Parts: sequence; C-alpha cells; structure tokens
Amino acid sequence: MYELLHDLLGDSLLVYVIGAALPLLFVLPFAVVAVLLEMKVSAHMQDRVAYMYTGWHGVLQPVADILKLLQKEDTVPAAADKFLFRLAPFLVFMGGYAGFAALPFSSAYIGSNIDLGVFYILAVSSLAVIGLMMSGWASNNKWSLFGAMRSVAQIISYEIPSALSILVAVMIVGSLNLQEVSKFQEGGIQNWIVFGGPMPLLQKLLLLPFTITAFFILFLAGIAEVNRTPFDLPEAESELVQGYNTEYSGMKFAIFYLAEFANMFLVSGIVVSLYLGGWTSPFGDVMSGPIWSFFWFVAKGMFFVFLQVWIRWTLPRLRVDQLMYTSWKVLTPFLFVCIFAVGLILVL
Amino acid sequence: MILESIVFYSLAVASVGSALLMVTRRNPVIAALYLILNFFCLAGLYLTLQAQFIAVIHILVYAGAIMVLFLFVIMLLNLGDERKLSDAISPRKIIAGGLSLALLLELLSIFVTGTEGLPEYNADQALQVGTVEYIGKQLFTKFLFPFEVTSILLLAAIIGAILLAKKKPD
Amino acid sequence: MVEQLLQSLSRFLPETTLTVALCSTVVVSLFLGRKSQATLFVALAGLVLATWFSFDQMGVSETIFSGMVAVDPFSVFFKLLVGLSAILILLFSLYSSEVQSTLHRAGEYSALILAMALGMFLMAGASNLLMMVLAIELTSLSSYILAGYTREASDSSEASLKYIIYGAVSTGVMLYGISILYGLTGATDFYGINRALTEESVNSVALLVSIIMILVGFGYKISAVPFHFWTPDVYEGAPITITAFLSVASKAAGFALMMRFFKVSFIDANAVGLPTGVWTSLQGFEWNKIVAILSVLTMTLGNLVAVWQNNLKRLLAYSSIAHAGYMLMGVVVLSDKGLAAVLIYFMVYLFMNLGAFYVVMLVANKTGSEDIDSYKGLGHRSPLVSVAMVIFFISLAGLPPTAGFIGKLFLFAALLDATWIWLAVVGALNSVVSLYYYVRVVRNMFLRDPEGNAEPILFSTPQLAIVMLLLLPTLFFGLFYSPMVELANASVMMFGIR
Repeated sequence: MYELLHDLLGDSLLVYVIGAALPLLFVLPFAVVAVLLEMKVSAHMQDRVAYMYTGWHGVLQPVADILKLLQKEDTVPAAADKFLFRLAPFLVFMGGYAGFAALPFSSAYIGSNIDLGVFYILAVSSLAVIGLMMSGWASNNKWSLFGAMRSVAQIISYEIPSALSILVAVMIVGSLNLQEVSKFQEGGIQNWIVFGGPMPLLQKLLLLPFTITAFFILFLAGIAEVNRTPFDLPEAESELVQGYNTEYSGMKFAIFYLAEFANMFLVSGIVVSLYLGGWTSPFGDVMSGPIWSFFWFVAKGMFFVFLQVWIRWTLPRLRVDQLMYTSWKVLTPFLFVCIFAVGLILVL
Repeated sequence: MILESIVFYSLAVASVGSALLMVTRRNPVIAALYLILNFFCLAGLYLTLQAQFIAVIHILVYAGAIMVLFLFVIMLLNLGDERKLSDAISPRKIIAGGLSLALLLELLSIFVTGTEGLPEYNADQALQVGTVEYIGKQLFTKFLFPFEVTSILLLAAIIGAILLAKKKPD
Repeated sequence: MVEQLLQSLSRFLPETTLTVALCSTVVVSLFLGRKSQATLFVALAGLVLATWFSFDQMGVSETIFSGMVAVDPFSVFFKLLVGLSAILILLFSLYSSEVQSTLHRAGEYSALILAMALGMFLMAGASNLLMMVLAIELTSLSSYILAGYTREASDSSEASLKYIIYGAVSTGVMLYGISILYGLTGATDFYGINRALTEESVNSVALLVSIIMILVGFGYKISAVPFHFWTPDVYEGAPITITAFLSVASKAAGFALMMRFFKVSFIDANAVGLPTGVWTSLQGFEWNKIVAILSVLTMTLGNLVAVWQNNLKRLLAYSSIAHAGYMLMGVVVLSDKGLAAVLIYFMVYLFMNLGAFYVVMLVANKTGSEDIDSYKGLGHRSPLVSVAMVIFFISLAGLPPTAGFIGKLFLFAALLDATWIWLAVVGALNSVVSLYYYVRVVRNMFLRDPEGNAEPILFSTPQLAIVMLLLLPTLFFGLFYSPMVELANASVMMFGIR
C-alpha cells in the first residue's frame, strides 16, 4: 500500500498520514452499520421492531444518534483529573484502531506489512487497557474505578488464552504476518486452518480437533477482551451504573462506543484471518481477486460481528469468579494441550 | 533521513522527560502513567534501531501487563499523595544524593568519552538481529539452556506466589 | 546441535535430578495429602542423589550448553558443599517446630528449598553473565519466599519484604553494571570478556564503574558491608532452618560465583614470570583493592555490632557477616593459595555454623526463645548440647584445636604469603573481638544460674545424633586437616584456566 502512495505522492510525511488514516474509511461507516445491526438484531430477538421512523425501517437512526451526541453538552466532573479524563477515550480508541494496521483487508491491501503482524496487534491493544484504567481512575467515581479494574483484570486474564490460541495457528503457518497466514490458506474452504490447513490428509485429521478448539477459544477470548456480554462485567449496569464510562457524555461517550465497535471488528478480523482463511474465497479460485477478497474478508468479519451481537442478546452475564475460572482453569489448560499436540503433530 | 532524526529526537526528549516526570510526581498513579509513556517512547526508540521484536515485547510485557498490574495495585490500595510518606531533608538523604550525583557524573563521562574501542556491528547484522526468526533461532539453540532455567525460575515464583497468597491453611 | 545438547545433558545430571525432585515434590504434595512429611523425604532423596551425582563429576573439566555452565572441580566442590548443607537443613527441618507446625505447607517448603539448591548449583557453575543473573535470581526468589515462610509471624513477613526490596535494588544495580560491561566487551561469557579485555584496552572508568556495580550484586548475596542491611532482620525473622541455609549455602554460592567471575574474566592470561598458582589481573586493573576494602569493612562492622546483640539469631547473623569478611581476604590475594584457603574455610564453616544454628533451633524449640538470657544455666539443664555449642563457638572464634582454627590459619598464611600484612593484622584483631561475644554466650550457659525454670531439657536420640554429626567433623578436621586441604587444592582448578 505504501509503495502505491509513495509512487503517487513521493517521499513526504503526507504518505504516512494518509496511510494511517485509510482504515478510518472502513471503521467509521462500519460503526454506523454496527449500531443499527445491534439495535435491530436485539429488537427482533425480543419480538420488537426497534426504530421505524427515521428512514426506511429506521436505517437512518444511527446517523441521527451521532448528530444528537455531537450536540450534547460534554460534561467533565469537577473532581476529575481533567487531562486524563479527556485523554482516556482517545487512548481506548487508538488501542483498537492501531490494530487495524496489521489486518489484511484484501490480498492487495494491508496497512503495514510487518513481520510481527498479529503479535503487534496484541501489543498495541494494551493501549486500550491503559485507556480504560485511566478513564476509570480519572472520573473520580468509585463505580467507574470498579468498572475499570474489572475490565483490566478481565482483559489481562483473557489475553493469555487469546495469545495462546493465536499461537496454535501461527505454529501451523510459521509466520506472524496475517497476510502470509491468509495466503497460506488459499485454495478453498478445506484449506482453512480451522479445518486443519492445507496439510496432507492424515495430518489434517489429526490437527482438526485441536484447531477447532483453538478457534472457539480465540473467539470466546476475543469477546471477553472486547468486554461484551456474557463477559461485560465492567459495565454491569445493575451493579456498577455504567462502569468505566459512567461519567462520560457527548462525543467522548461516543468515542467509547466507536472503540467498542472497532474492537468487535478487530477481534472478528483476527479470528477470520487466522482460522477462516482471511480474505481467501471459500470456493478456491472462483470469486477471488483483490476486490472479491475484500468482500470475503468483510463478509466473514461481519458474520462474526453478528455472532457477537447474537450471543450478547442470548446469554446472561457471568459472575466475576466464573469469569476468572473460565480463563485460567478451563481455556488456558485446554490451549496448553492444543499447543503441545499441534507441535507434536507438526514435527511428526 | 530528516524524518528519522525528527523521530529519534522527539522520542528521546519524550522518554527523558517522562522519566523525570515519573520520578518527581507526587501522585503514584500519575507517576505510573508517566512510566508507561516512557516505555512507549523506549519501544519507539527500539523501532528506530530495527529491533521490532524487542519493541513489541516491551510494550506487550512492560506497558501492557506489568505496568497495568502496577496501576491496578496502586488503585486497589488507594494510595494518597506521597507527601505523607516523605520526610524532611536528612543527612542520609544528602549523602545518598551526593553518591547518586557522583554516579551520574561517572556514567556521563563514560558515555561522552568511552566510545573508543567498542565492538562494532554493521547495519545488515543489526537489521537481521531484530527479527522474530533470528531471536527465535537463537533462543532455542544457543540460549536454550537459560531459556529453560527461566521456566524453573517462573515455576518457583508461582509456587511462592501461591504460598504467600493463600489465606488460611486447608 | 542436538548431539551437543545431549552431551551437555549427560554432564548436567545433578541439576536435572534436582529439577525432577522439584516437580515431584509438587506432585507428591498434591496426591499424598498436605499434612505429611512425605515431600520433605522426596526432597531429601533428590538432594542426596544430586550430591552423589556431583560427587561423580569430580575430575571433569568442561563447559556445557554452549559455554553457559562450567563443570569443573571448582563448581563440583561448591555443588557438594551446597548439596551437603541442603541435606542437613532438611534433616533439621524434620525436628524444627517451626516447620513441623506448618506441615500443611511442607510441599511448598521442600519445593522452594530444592529450587534454591538448584539456583546455587547453577551459581557454582555459571560462566556466562546471563546464567549468572538467572542463577542468582532463582536462588534469591526462593529465599525471599522462604524467609517469609512462617507468615503468621509479623517479623517473618517484614524480613521477607526487606529481603525483596534490597534484593531487587541490588540486582537492578548489578544488571546495569552488566549492561555496561557487555557494552564494553561485546561478550556475555566470562571467557569472551577476558579475551575482549586482553585484546584491546577499554575505558578504565567505565570498567571500574561496571565492576563496582556488579560487586553490589555479589556483596548483597554474600552480605558484605555496606550491602548487609537486610541480613540481621532476615536472619532473625526467617525460620531458623532457612537462616542456617542462607548463612552457609547462599553465601558459598555467592562466593563461588564471585571468585569465578573475577578470576576468569580479569585474569591476565599473558602475564609471565609469575610462580605457579599466582595470577595477576588485567591491565593493572586492581579490583582486589576494592575487595580488600570491602573485606575490612565487613569483618569490622560485623564483629563490632555483634557485641551488642542480645538475640542469638541476630548475633549469629552479624557473626556470619564477619565471617564473610574473613573469607573475602582470601579473594584479595590473587593466588590459588588464597582461593584454596576460602574453600577450606567454607568446609569448616559449613559444620560449625550449621551446628551453632542447629543448637539454637533445638533450644528455641524447647524454651521458645532465642534470647541470650534464656541461655542462662543451660549448661546445667542440658550439658551435652551446651558443650557442643561451646565447641561450635570456639571453632567460630577460630581457636585451636577446632577446625575453625585451621580455616583461619590457611587464610592468614595466604595473606602473609602475598605480603598483605595490614589486612592480616586487621583480621587477627577482629578475631579477638569476636571471641568476646562468643564467650558471653558461653558465660551465660555455664557461669550463670538458670532463671525460673531449671528443669533439665531432654532431646531425642536422632536430634542428638545430628548434633554429633556436626560436632565430630568440627573437632576431627581441627586435628586431621590434610584431607580437607588436599580436596581444596584440587578444587581450585577452573575450566580453561591454567
């Protein structure tokens, strides 16, 4: 991507600015769609119809919501640490957004084709943790602080299963670069890593149970890292008002939401790239090419976003101890077994 | 080239500045946040040296995990301003300050004068050393043994943590 | 690569044994219930085997794992020393009321003792800066936790915390020193550092600063003044078994690492015209003068402060600081004779210091106090143990006919040989001071009447057997010291150094 921009604009700072801003073109419209999706899906699950007045079946409602949030008064609590309070939402968004740089949207486009790829995404997402903590502390409100602490404990705990399940796929491919990982799975649905990857049949069958386990755990840990139900303890409204963003209003509140939606897609994107072929077409060479590959990536990603919404409106919230139990005593040991087994199978 | 030096100098100033602020802030939370900023700047400096892996691991481990736990504990303990803990200037402090100053001057003199006779590395080598592949290969061949010893170290640490954390005997 | 690793593994049997034992203790404590001594016996078996395998390695001289660890007579000697003291400590633990009253944590206790022993085994052999730090950390981490093992006691927690803070700071300083040294030489293994320093001259200020910083780490480990502040509190707060282990094995491992680091890294391999067994340091870089100053400070402060102590554990803590000072004298002289003297001293110190701590433990089990006052009239209440204590103290003070005298004799001989007269004089004066506080305890035991309860204190046969096990070598080596000297002379040989 940078090469193209370089050719167009020469060696100037502008290249980097444009390169860095490109994923925004995707993230902003996506957030609008995701808000609508969330509302509509939840409503229909509960036998309601949700927005109906703004536009056809209320499709313009998210736009109206954004306009409303923009006009709202942006309050800052008197006893808050003003600077950190203002900084926090942007850090949270940055943590998710920076991850988009290493996500391969299409066979022709990846923000930054670095070797570290998914490892880099793991690292920068820690920025969001710091942002959450900052928002909770700077609000000077005990519910916010509790919410922030819960979310941090949760994200840090679930980083371990998610990193380990990423490792399972990375071991099979031998590269951390998500573009390479996607290329590795070209050639149809049977080559996706969740189905054992493009290996000889016996090896594939042996790998299958472990890759499927790792895939599920990665998705599960992903939901937990985005703090969504059933893992949305940080925002448990019955206990904590609204958690870390209780004191936020107006645009800053909107940015928290934007960050959440960006993270939802990021998590789906990682799952898709690592286990479900990324931008590759499920039908081999049919319907492939840069444009189609963009379609496949977004379609698969959106499916997982839909799945997250679905789960959110289906399952009740976990208790704190159940949450920790799941991460440390169930997911992590399972992944140790997976990693060990996959390593063994790959060597044999 | 200009861009590189801009990046380097801004990161350098930011890292030294945040380190100073970290030491001088009274509020432990703010101090910890400055330390995190400092880690990010250092990671940026590693990147300018082509050490991608170190940079990422630095953020992942230090800024992302260790410092967050630090913050967690500080917030949990709800520490107030450090002012309550600090005492007046005592002879001990003056001696400690003097010694630290002497050390600082010595170190400065080393960094100013002591560059002759240092082992040299060429750019290609440096480029290669920063990659995951290279580090992985080294870690599992030449440094396999220290790597394994580290795992025993962690095992001992885990046993210790359980020993210390367990509330009542069962 | 694989062959080389397998080859290395076969030379790594003692440490492998310890690792296996460490994992077994965890598993055994999981399955055999938590209220049993089983884990202590598992650990004991592991240590006995490891010591036996180290014994088997006598005469080997090579480095393993790409030069990370050296297996040579020097490391084998210290492995034996550490293994032996760990075995004795586990025997003590079987009769320590502190350990027996917390049997539900015996699994962790034995696992951490094994981890500590493993760390010390590695310290004895480490010949790479990376290994050095890792080994020190493994030892320290386990000992931090063990120092706070009896968590119910608040002084135990305080001890642990102080230990951690001092430990963290000194390790940090040491790492900074190591990074400077690495920057100067571009090598992490001791031999590489030596080559780099021989081939070209480096900035001497930088070298000096880095060495002083690294010395902070060593100084902390061997509790040399001025890095000793943690010692009295930790020794007082920790369970006696751990105190005894720290005072002997931890110190021995620290000395082993320090002697290897200085000798291998800073020896001048090209020096000519020196008699055999005498070596000189590189580029006229006189690190031994720094060590000499440390030695004087350490023994003087240790002895002078010990005079004022009323708690026997604290007294022994300061006395152990003083002993570290004596042993540093042997490092100063830059000769194999000096190193051999340190080794001899450690052999002696193992028995006499562990013996003294064991008696303190036995008495504390019965009287519940480590105060010097509670020793009044002990000579009448329990004559055998009191006499043993007197002999240990005489040995610690360095009087004939005990082994302690032999240890001091060889140290002073090495000093005089290298014409470090003033240091020898300071050492001798210090021994006189030490006599005073040891005799104070003896006076309380025999020349004072017991206060209050004057019933005889009885000990079981195995308990007395362990006292004898420590007492006999203390006396025996005072008279027949030649096997000890021969072993020490054979053990100063390090890999790759003529």
